[in-house]
Amino acid sequence: MATQFTSTAGTQLKSFVGLRQSSLQTTSSTSLRPRSRRITSFQIRASRSSPKVPGRPLRVAIVGGGPAGGAAAETLARGGVETFLIERKLDNAKPCGGAIPLCMVDEFDIPMDIIDRKVTKMKMISPSNVAVDIGRTLKPHEYIGMVRREVLDEHLREKAKSLGATVINGLFLKMDKPKDNVSPYVLHYNHYDGSKGAGMGVPRTLQVDAVIGADGANSRVAKSIDAGDYEYAIAFQERVKIPSNKMVYYEDLAEMYVGQDVSPDFYGWVFPKCDHVAVGTGTVTHKKDIKKFQNATRLRAKDKIEGGKIIRVEAHPIPEHPRPRRVLDRVALVGDAAGYVTKCSGEGIYFAAKSGRMCAEAIVQGSENGKRLVDESDLRVYLAKFDKAYWPTYKVLDVLQKVFYRSDPAREAFVEMCADEYVQKMTFDSYLYKKVVPGNPLDDIKLAFNTIGSLVRANAMRREMAKLAD
Amino acid sequence: MSTTVVFSSSLSFLFLNTTTPKSYRCLTFKPYHVGTFPLLTRSHFPFLASSVDNVTVIDEMETVEKAEVLVSNGSAFTVPKFRDARWIAGTWDLEQFKKGENTDWDAVIDAEVRRRKWLKDHLESSSNDDPVVFRSSIIPWWPWVKRFHLPEAELLNGRAAMIGIFMAYLVECLTGIGLVDQMNNFFCKTLMFVTVVGVLLIRKNEDIQNLKDLSNEITMYDKQWQAAWKEDDRK
Repeated sequence: MATQFTSTAGTQLKSFVGLRQSSLQTTSSTSLRPRSRRITSFQIRASRSSPKVPGRPLRVAIVGGGPAGGAAAETLARGGVETFLIERKLDNAKPCGGAIPLCMVDEFDIPMDIIDRKVTKMKMISPSNVAVDIGRTLKPHEYIGMVRREVLDEHLREKAKSLGATVINGLFLKMDKPKDNVSPYVLHYNHYDGSKGAGMGVPRTLQVDAVIGADGANSRVAKSIDAGDYEYAIAFQERVKIPSNKMVYYEDLAEMYVGQDVSPDFYGWVFPKCDHVAVGTGTVTHKKDIKKFQNATRLRAKDKIEGGKIIRVEAHPIPEHPRPRRVLDRVALVGDAAGYVTKCSGEGIYFAAKSGRMCAEAIVQGSENGKRLVDESDLRVYLAKFDKAYWPTYKVLDVLQKVFYRSDPAREAFVEMCADEYVQKMTFDSYLYKKVVPGNPLDDIKLAFNTIGSLVRANAMRREMAKLAD
Repeated sequence: MSTTVVFSSSLSFLFLNTTTPKSYRCLTFKPYHVGTFPLLTRSHFPFLASSVDNVTVIDEMETVEKAEVLVSNGSAFTVPKFRDARWIAGTWDLEQFKKGENTDWDAVIDAEVRRRKWLKDHLESSSNDDPVVFRSSIIPWWPWVKRFHLPEAELLNGRAAMIGIFMAYLVECLTGIGLVDQMNNFFCKTLMFVTVVGVLLIRKNEDIQNLKDLSNEITMYDKQWQAAWKEDDRK
């Protein structure tokens, strides 16, 4: 889903990030490793004792060339590390919302011509079709950028290439782990160079000192380091080409539909893309009913997309929380492979790019610009930095999702809350700049009361509705 | 004490009296499985033409036919729109709810409840020409309190009072300390606090499990994030 639009309740438009839902098993708060009860917390120590790399710079392979891989490659190449970026499909048009916050445009120097649209208005529609306009508090220079993933990914990769990284068109197969701290990792991949015909690859190997797994939700690198499972959502999207008079309405406006019919734990959306709109929905717990939810979303937006032709159907899994293990020896996971997608809005592009950059920075620092070998403690520096910087954001969105996506009354209350200007301002500030900004305490208390009031009203009405059914 | 009862019971509405299925409240934390992976296979998506993690491009002709059927489906069988004499231009006409001089807010609440029930059963598309502008916040706070909160507060206060009188009598029988002296004692004050909280939070037998699930849910996400930092010794 495109942009993350954070509404006052902190709901952000998700970029395909699914709402996770707890599965239907009863709770059993098992720990990750049921084997031993003793747990050791890791401490971060810089690896001063790492041996120097003889006569050549440190070699790092990045598996996956999306935002995470591209950002990591750029930082590594800039830091003097020999970088190899392995991507299996260089023109891959990812099924993604494509929304990037303002801070990403600044931090990653995204040129303006990559941004197809600047969304400045949003509409949230409740289960009973109450529509609320959001975006009045945005300043003139603020917007949510909509990009095409293939364009953005290509840009980041080209930037890395221009700084000295090697981009390899290949499919990563497996990885041989070294037996000690100094031997290299051996990556096996199928190299596509057109010599064997379309789709056929030449098996090759690559020896590197460290690996960054940036290969997305179905990460093979994660599998090879036994990183563990995560719960995931399915996001399903149809790209619809609507008549140009209807397209005017979506010029700079995105819509978000909430309701039990549209999704039991997420929302349905209509996002404008370069010359068409993307209509979609997602779910964690009711994946089998995704088609039903998609029909409901199309029905809710019926008047506005009438006469449209479906030009593409896409679906993708979206992680709901980080994998149990994100770093092992000299392999680290970033982006969707690590599971850095927020709840509630499903934002993932920015966090993927930022985590790629942070991991690369940790490697550059730990290796003193490529002169020393790195070890696990250097990679854990990146984990600590990322967790510290973004944990509040993730937690707030998690709380918002738990409170406001539970039930239809909660969603009604949510949409009501979003009509409030203070909420809109807070949401946008935290979305666009990725900082959880503490607002005016008095306004916060008023907001808390209003929220509770809305929730109570909506729940009371729902109980009355249940009585009517009898 | 009655104000805390009032306030807490309204808060409890939010969490404990929802009728959402248990699955919504139970966040499970999948135990670590070596080797399993949530790979999506075709069995997950029988309706997609090819594998899920690739973009599926459906043939242009096929989609045109399908799309036209899908998009115009709404008009093929018309979904009846919600109609009511008092629902005008996307909101309830409060003039029609007058009971003498004042507005009959109970009737407004009833009408809105009926509309939402109708929408649940007959899905309607949201339309720009005919938007819904009704906000439940136009109904002042006191009809809500009178109708929903007070009966439950009465029930809970009644329960608390009954338990209180009985316990005061029992303690006096056992120890001879009268009610005023009991209130001065710290242990008795604690017991009273526990009783009040218990009456507020646990109203049905399922509430005990609900509370456990809630506390799990609140901490689940934190545990998932901390997982990378807590590992058994692998080496």
